[in-house]
Amino acid sequence: MPEPLEYPKAMLTRATLDACIKCTICETACPVSAVTPLFPGPKFVGPQAERFRDGESVDHSLDYCSSCGACTLACPQGVQIAELNSQARAVMKEDNMPLRDKLIGQTVLMGKVMTPFAPIANAALGNKLVRTVVEKTVGVHRDAPMPTARLHTFQGWMKKHQPPASPRTRGPVVFFSGCAGGYFEVETSIKTVEVLEHLGYEVIAPKQGCCGLAQQSNGLFDEATKSVLKLCDQLRSGGKDLTIVSASGSCAGMLKHEAHEIMGVDEEKLHDVGTRMREISEFLLELHAAGDLPTDFVRNDITVPYHAPCQLKSQGMGMPAITVMELIPGVKVIESGRACCGIAGTYGLKKEKYDIAQAVGQPLFDMVKEKNEGIAVCDTETCRWQIEKGSGVKTVHPIWLVHKAYGLS
Amino acid sequence: MSMDSRAVVVGAGMAGLVSAIRLRQAGMDVTLVTQGIGGIQLGQGTIDVLGYVPERVLGQPLAAVTAYGNAHPHHPYAILSADDVRAGVEFLRALLPDTFVGDLERNYLLPTAIGALRPTALPQVTMAEGECTPGKQMVFVGLRQLKDFWPELVAGNVARTELPGGGRVSTRAAWLDLPARANEVDSTPLYYARAMDDPAYRKRFVDALRRVVEPGETVGLPGVLGLADRGAFADITAQLGQPVFEISTIPPSVPGMRLNDALTRLAKDARVKVVLGSQVLCANIDGGRIRSLTVGTTGRPTEYAGEHFVFAPGGFESGGIELDSYMKVSEPTLGLPLWVPEGDLVVADHNAAQPLFSVGVRFDHDMRVLDTAGDTVHENLHVAGGILAGASRWQEKSGDGIALASAVRAADAILESVQNLEGARNA
Repeated sequence: MPEPLEYPKAMLTRATLDACIKCTICETACPVSAVTPLFPGPKFVGPQAERFRDGESVDHSLDYCSSCGACTLACPQGVQIAELNSQARAVMKEDNMPLRDKLIGQTVLMGKVMTPFAPIANAALGNKLVRTVVEKTVGVHRDAPMPTARLHTFQGWMKKHQPPASPRTRGPVVFFSGCAGGYFEVETSIKTVEVLEHLGYEVIAPKQGCCGLAQQSNGLFDEATKSVLKLCDQLRSGGKDLTIVSASGSCAGMLKHEAHEIMGVDEEKLHDVGTRMREISEFLLELHAAGDLPTDFVRNDITVPYHAPCQLKSQGMGMPAITVMELIPGVKVIESGRACCGIAGTYGLKKEKYDIAQAVGQPLFDMVKEKNEGIAVCDTETCRWQIEKGSGVKTVHPIWLVHKAYGLS
Repeated sequence: MSMDSRAVVVGAGMAGLVSAIRLRQAGMDVTLVTQGIGGIQLGQGTIDVLGYVPERVLGQPLAAVTAYGNAHPHHPYAILSADDVRAGVEFLRALLPDTFVGDLERNYLLPTAIGALRPTALPQVTMAEGECTPGKQMVFVGLRQLKDFWPELVAGNVARTELPGGGRVSTRAAWLDLPARANEVDSTPLYYARAMDDPAYRKRFVDALRRVVEPGETVGLPGVLGLADRGAFADITAQLGQPVFEISTIPPSVPGMRLNDALTRLAKDARVKVVLGSQVLCANIDGGRIRSLTVGTTGRPTEYAGEHFVFAPGGFESGGIELDSYMKVSEPTLGLPLWVPEGDLVVADHNAAQPLFSVGVRFDHDMRVLDTAGDTVHENLHVAGGILAGASRWQEKSGDGIALASAVRAADAILESVQNLEGARNA
């Protein structure tokens, strides 16, 4: 049995920091240091402070990194700055992990508890007094965006759902809903399945748990590793070598690279799932490039502000959703140009980071308010809640536009 | 232009961005792949065509380009003509109107952050008042919380420099005590630039500036005069009522960031598909042509297929060329043949030219890569920018001229080849 956190502890000395030429490009890309001096920036906290870490961190400003990954993405020299910082933070927090950080990583539990009591749960989360008590006791900020519980889960829908009668001409694919897509953003999951079925796929959605991303970003590597490996088994049970499609932008990234790069998970089943994982827009664009995507879209004259989530961008595939949405006649996309919406998974929920997360998101909220014609678009659940709360504009997954353009809604 | 013509551009520096935009404007489907943000924001934010040959070039930089190319057969300017440089610069200027001053008829001589006088063809509008002429009175103003700009150093060095036509600038140094953000004692230029985007902060800044500036003085400031708000400079100048200029600092260079942000925005708005954060692993070649590039996206590699490729990864400093511990140089991505000067690549004298920087690929006027025998390596591969052999760009101050000329030439060669093909099909 390896010692807990053996990998990140060892990685601290073996990281890519020697490739850093101190060019400061990461500093210019960081959305957190831009709004608060509490975080001195990715270069200082990463490749520079790393040289002074001998088992423990010399200062704790590292905790203010939101792990959005904008620094790694921007680095022209291949330094994995965000990964380095996530590892160092896990080691730093090992002996004093706040209860709050353990709780907010339990996304499946939250969904399971809230779904049967959806109206009550929603009312409680909308109640100022309840939220104040939660802030004081647990440390989740009273104004932080919270999901809306649904009375039905995605799996509940899927069981009763009848696929179209037309022949399944394209064979099977596995659908990965993610826990938010399973419990809260149920409609996005349903629309994704319906689009895939419309294209002629047989959609298999095995029972599935959480990818562990929220635990990983809170430094709970052991718990996150268990979660992600269990999920790999569940997704593999859908069928050997099948493409796995996800409408949860961030969770797809956890399976593609974060579990391996940050936590050092090196099991065959993770690599197997990771190489088969396609984010839905990425999947549709691949079809389009191969000439296999029907584009008999219904016209939709609308301009939509679009924000690519940080953890989608960090998959290094560009922004496929823009190209896909603009295949629909009449759709014009305005890209936010912002690194992050601020929420960064669970970062913006925390009472001591809430104001920072709001400040990070503010230019995005302003842009959405100014440019929207009724909706905004974003690929990841928590980011949509953050944008919706910050801007007051209904924010949907790109698949909603594709679903509508195929005449399915 | 047939819309199914696809180009893949590698690199997001000046050469990559400009060639991608030019191809896209012609109607081509363009994907730009880059491992990170390009190097524009590590530079001065000026357009340097040719500054030292090795003597300082003051008049007619384009004439100097022709003369330098004639005298140095291995230099990019031996293949790229003065007309190519002009075309490149004019294309950029049309993309970014109201950004630069200068007419390519002369070089400006502007103080750097250590007070050296540096020649450049096109300074940004915000820098133009820094031109050094005899008898000019300048005050350099630093900020106590910004350690990258020391006004005494700039003022002292500028004052002791005799100007090319004779005479000197009279200088003075002054300081402001004005944090960019509350409780921050050590800010980078970037935080000041972001603060300057706020009109209320600008007002406080100008109020503080008024107390240290004297009538008749031209005010030299660190390059922090606004990042997103392109009206910041004009506002500060108008409020102060005296000529102001900014001097780029060590990275992050805010004037460089403004150029990078503007070009990146133009590329994205034109729907160049920018794939940021992934490295090109190799090219897939068939019959002398590149069919696709394999890119190391997360999860598994992705193939980016195309009919045309522009390779602009930068030079040695960008990782576009590698040097191993046996002093062997290589081009690590596509394995292109390199031109390597004879003799030691690195010399001990810090003031001497380092031959290592002139290592690069040889090319023809269509920006196709040539091997040692002078034959085309891949018919549909074009190169631009820092990867080109023969220049010591940092020393010659020639990097932007080479990048712009080669980027526009590469794009135009591609567009010409498509037109020729279509012409042949129609005939």
